[in-house]
Amino acid sequence: MKFSRYGWIAGALVTLLIIILPIGYLTGFFEPQKVDPWDGLPDHMAHTDHTGLFTDPLTTGPEVTAACLSCHEGAASEVMATSHWTWEHGPYDLPGHEEPVYTGKANVLNNFCIGIQSNEAACTSCHTGYGWVDENFDFTEETAVDCVACHDQSGLYIKGKGGQPEEGIDLVAVAESVANPSRDNCGSCHFTGGGGDAVKHGDLDNSMLNPSPELDVHMGEYDFVCTDCHQAEHHEIDGRAISVSLDDANQIYCTDCHAEEPHEDDRLNDHTATVACQTCHIPEFARKEATKVEWLWSEAGQDLPQDTHEYLKIKGAFVYESNVIPTYAWYSGTADRYILGDVIDPSQITEMVKPKGSIADPSAKIFPFKVHEANQIYDTVYNTLIQPKTFGEGGYWTDFDWDQAARLGSERVGLPYSGEYGFADTEMYWPITHMVAPSEDSLQCAACHVEGSGSGRLDWAALGYDGDPMFFGSREQQLSVPPGTLSSNLNNDQEAQQ
Amino acid sequence: MSHPSRVLPTSIRKAPPSLVGILLYISLVALLLLGVGLMDGGLAQAQEQTPGVSPLHPTFPLLDTDGVNVLVSGHSLSTMQTCGNCHDTGFIADHSFHTSVGRESYTAPGQQPNGQPWEMSHGLFGGWDSIAYRYLTPPGDERYDLGLADWIKFYGPRHVGGGPATNAPDGTPLADLAVTSDDPFTHSYNPATSQLSVWDWSESGVEEMNCFLCHMADPDLTARSEELTAGNFGWANTATLASTDILLKEGEVWNWNPDAFSSEGSLLADYVFIQDPTPENCGACHGTVHTSAEPLMPSEITADDLHTQRTGQIFTGQRVKDTGLNIENKDELNRAYDIHAERNVACTDCHFSVNNPIYYQEPDGSRPDHLNFDPRRLDYDYYLVQPEHNFARGEASQHLVSAQYTDSMRRCESCHDAETTHDWLPYSDLHLSVLSCESCHIPELYAAPLEQVDWTAIHTDGASLVTYRGVEGDVNDLTALITGYEPVLLPRTGVDGEAQLAPFNLVTTYFWTYGDPLRPVRLEDLRRVYLTEDGAGDSYRPQILALFDADGNGQLDETELRLDNAAKVDLVRGELVALGLADPQIQGEIQPYAISHDVTNGSFATGECKTCHIEDSRLNHTFQVAAYRPGDVTPQFTNVSGVTVVGELTVSENSTVNYVPSTTAMGLYVPGHNRVEWVGWVGLSAFLTTLAGVFVHGGLRVYQAGRRVKKTHRKGKLHKFYMYGFYERAWHWMQSIVILLLLATGIIIHRPDSLGFLDLGLVVPVHNILAALLVANALFAAFYHFASGQIRQYLPQPVGYFPQMLTQAEYYVRGIFRGEPHPFQKLPGSKLNPLQQITYLVILNVLLPLQVITGIVMWGVTRWPLLAAQLGGLPWLAPFHTLIAWLFATFVVLHVYLITTGHTPLAALKAMTVGWEEVELIDDGDA
Repeated sequence: MKFSRYGWIAGALVTLLIIILPIGYLTGFFEPQKVDPWDGLPDHMAHTDHTGLFTDPLTTGPEVTAACLSCHEGAASEVMATSHWTWEHGPYDLPGHEEPVYTGKANVLNNFCIGIQSNEAACTSCHTGYGWVDENFDFTEETAVDCVACHDQSGLYIKGKGGQPEEGIDLVAVAESVANPSRDNCGSCHFTGGGGDAVKHGDLDNSMLNPSPELDVHMGEYDFVCTDCHQAEHHEIDGRAISVSLDDANQIYCTDCHAEEPHEDDRLNDHTATVACQTCHIPEFARKEATKVEWLWSEAGQDLPQDTHEYLKIKGAFVYESNVIPTYAWYSGTADRYILGDVIDPSQITEMVKPKGSIADPSAKIFPFKVHEANQIYDTVYNTLIQPKTFGEGGYWTDFDWDQAARLGSERVGLPYSGEYGFADTEMYWPITHMVAPSEDSLQCAACHVEGSGSGRLDWAALGYDGDPMFFGSREQQLSVPPGTLSSNLNNDQEAQQ
Repeated sequence: MSHPSRVLPTSIRKAPPSLVGILLYISLVALLLLGVGLMDGGLAQAQEQTPGVSPLHPTFPLLDTDGVNVLVSGHSLSTMQTCGNCHDTGFIADHSFHTSVGRESYTAPGQQPNGQPWEMSHGLFGGWDSIAYRYLTPPGDERYDLGLADWIKFYGPRHVGGGPATNAPDGTPLADLAVTSDDPFTHSYNPATSQLSVWDWSESGVEEMNCFLCHMADPDLTARSEELTAGNFGWANTATLASTDILLKEGEVWNWNPDAFSSEGSLLADYVFIQDPTPENCGACHGTVHTSAEPLMPSEITADDLHTQRTGQIFTGQRVKDTGLNIENKDELNRAYDIHAERNVACTDCHFSVNNPIYYQEPDGSRPDHLNFDPRRLDYDYYLVQPEHNFARGEASQHLVSAQYTDSMRRCESCHDAETTHDWLPYSDLHLSVLSCESCHIPELYAAPLEQVDWTAIHTDGASLVTYRGVEGDVNDLTALITGYEPVLLPRTGVDGEAQLAPFNLVTTYFWTYGDPLRPVRLEDLRRVYLTEDGAGDSYRPQILALFDADGNGQLDETELRLDNAAKVDLVRGELVALGLADPQIQGEIQPYAISHDVTNGSFATGECKTCHIEDSRLNHTFQVAAYRPGDVTPQFTNVSGVTVVGELTVSENSTVNYVPSTTAMGLYVPGHNRVEWVGWVGLSAFLTTLAGVFVHGGLRVYQAGRRVKKTHRKGKLHKFYMYGFYERAWHWMQSIVILLLLATGIIIHRPDSLGFLDLGLVVPVHNILAALLVANALFAAFYHFASGQIRQYLPQPVGYFPQMLTQAEYYVRGIFRGEPHPFQKLPGSKLNPLQQITYLVILNVLLPLQVITGIVMWGVTRWPLLAAQLGGLPWLAPFHTLIAWLFATFVVLHVYLITTGHTPLAALKAMTVGWEEVELIDDGDA
């Protein structure tokens, strides 16, 4: 009897379950939901209003930092552990080098302004620190960390030579404005790398401060900020670029938020093992502002009409292009790069950075790149690229004397200089991964797959194919390897490494 | 060994979908690659060629009709000789509808099946195209429209040459024809002078089958048309090469460019532009084709684009939003015009040569049962010599062209497995048997095709009055907004005899006919009626202007020209009679044009249940076929081979003519759209009557109970019984919930417009699952009742049952209001009173089985279609199911009310919940 008093409730529940379970099961209600890209986004926490927190006058950068550190203990040491501070990664074991190498902005050469060594004061206006003007900079001084470069929201803060704040900035107002980094904070350096707007990346320039949905669907349509993808923990910010790094630790992938096979259409999903998302979803880069695609240092020093986009006496001749169709290459996530002292073949184009990967590399996918072509100074006797001193006293930009610039620069980096120099062709690959277009603007089949005598934007032979995979089969079929052996993908690979 | 990527002829790169086909493909590719590998050295150069130059086709000399090198003779080239050097051009010309355009079906006029009295074939040659309007004059007719030479001048640009352009229907070469009196094959007619003259075929030359038209990248269509229009038929094929440097025009003379030839007189390799036909080649005549990455511009849609004009089909992979066309809501249309074009499927991949060894597949009907695929293939060498030039084609064609190849084409299902991709679709079998793939995958066309072509009146340039659909404003105005249109769905009968709904455009044409045998009034006669030569060109005759010019501006616009009143019709008819045409009448034809291109994939296809399963169903959408009716003539469907017209033509108040489809006439019962009205009314009446009765009865009980309060009601003793066991309660409540949910989901399925807040795609499966639960629960319960013997409670006592029923009825009518005790005590061993027994007997033995059976048959309508058909199909089953559902709903009302008649209103409910019930037992002595 006691059993039956409440037993009916249990009975009712069981009855309901008998009805609900089959319905739920058969209608697929219990099946796992699709990946929701929004799950990958961090919460935007309200930032504490810092107004009125600073009672002492703040006149220098280090004073601001000290004020920050009075509450945010440890923040500086966190920053100092990151490459935003060290401008260096490593050690890496690099073939052809006996010693492990450290690479980073601090010591590599590129084919834009070439390298920072001996030119620190000009370059370190983008260093998240104060006072790096030469090799004697103290990387252990906490108050030399520049907090407000990334956290200022007043818009007043501008860094000058050696990373010091420009004169006359109301640093109290700057300090009171601090909050999570905005597009402006990141963009102030990353949009203007290489000495001006839109010079380096091709997919990052000032048009990305407030892009249209067509230019960048994440920021333009969905109002992302950089740190939505480049998420940070303890000031360690995700993201990696082959222009400076030799590994792909910390890299960000589309699949961090999006499904591995996100398309409704199987034919499209069949591409994802071989083709990076960026390849179809960034049909062109520099879609708003033209980007520099060629830089001839050899032309510098002439008294020609000055034009930022065509010729500057201190830098040489340039070519800018917009709506550029990317160069496509296999890319496994890392790259080979030129290290100071490497011997070049001046009759060939020297690859400053070239993505690693091939059709036979299961971790490689076809990926879009901006290729920046240049020529730059090299030692015609030792056949090494030269780190010239361009900025400051005795620098090329002051005296227009290449020999002197080469000598001073070489002394600084500790490489021999024969006294003979010339200009060698160099090339540098930049991965294209921003400026993702809305899905309806992505590439269609015919962009790459062309029947008959026409040609699409992929050069199948150059990529290692016998012919268009639409007709000749997948890379596994064309390389005669078992199915599935080449179908892993970057992200899985990444996770496996971890 | 490297394998050059461009050495394979395009057509062999596509694998048939079957496994065997793939194996065959792989082996063929392997063989060819092997061959290519052996020839590696020679072919390495081929890779460096300029675009358009054939990578494989050998060089060859150009020969004239006598087989002499044109460099020697200076004559025009002969394709039959030149290409005939290697290919069997005679075979090709004889096996090509593109060439014969109906010549093989040529008869005396009026003998074509479904044809008009003046039609002599089912093709362009001698057939009737009321849109183009000009026709080949039947032999013996006094009034000439087109002699054969005139026909070539007019229709030649649309014809590939050969066939009737080289030989008379009996096969005689045109130059050998004996001139007979007024014979249309040897005479040309000049409307300006009304004079017939003998046409000298040896002087004009004949237009041989023009291989270049389809087999080179950039044929010069303009130069070719100019030669045809000028009557220089023998030079038309040569002029097609004018886009290359092979040929140079000096003054009016074509000269061969010696630099294009080797010292032996063969074309240099760089001038061999021979290729497999590309979509552009096909598009030159068949419709707008656009393959470049540049936006598709309005100027690319021309009057010559046959299928684009007649249906709105545009073959391009470009997204609608990326075109340069002014299309409504364009920004949201990020689908490609045609998914196949987008995915690099070319015309010839489906419309292949029917003896192409890669594609050929014996039709199901003639293939022996033990074979899915016949692996024996025509050797490629032989194919290249004798490639059949009749191309695989689909099921529906208005003009019955090459009927023997009907359905020879790959249909959607040849490449696509609809069953695996439509598992989301409830009743996918049924949907797929009723609907062609196209009906959902071509939901809309984003172009403005013809709606009406009216030849009863003409513009000053001799053009007809034309109305387009899918456009706001003048179609020729670049700013006009293209709204596109939703094609009408008509049942199309396939070769298997099964009809499926498929999309069509309907084009109505109006024209005057006269005489006996009937003939269309010639354009020339229309000109005489409407126009006069005034030196500056044609203008309207004064009597026409006087009557037609409503706004008095001296011009006649499209609206004023319409024959929309009796006076205009009488004037024109009178003028035609005055020209000697007997009994002129206005005739109106509606021609369905099938639509199979502009296919979209699942993301953009019709997928919403409520597109069709709703009052305003897409299946029943009205389709305007004419914006007005010249002479108040309602047009009639014509030449509708393969199409069944189900529905009616209605004329609206403002004289537009509409085609109104009818799902009922199609034999369809579309849940949510079709309903049998009386079933609803009967069911609702039963339900409402019962509800009202319950309220009245209940109200009276409450009222009487109130009056009784002060009286001492003689109460029996309350006894507590364990009335319902655990299982009994469980199955009861489960059944209750399931029935309520079935009623709820059923009504949503029945009336999705007003109640369809949930998607049918979800509700229908839930309804079916609930029904399965109901049946399972009922079977378990039946087993329980039989096994436990409880079934006896449901069985009426054999003796005295009828009086007992009366007693119980009397209690409900009278006793219950007086507070009298129940005539039959409810006890665990006899829970049901006689009325309950009979009710449950009916419900369990009649209503429930009927509902379950009709439900199962409907659920299994595609699994056992014959069973459903024998029971009348959905049109009968569905309303029946609905009616019984109403009765169940009615029962629920009654049941819920009657359980309140225990000693307290909630006693029975409580008992069914916890099992225990207090029952008033009256001693026998007191009763």
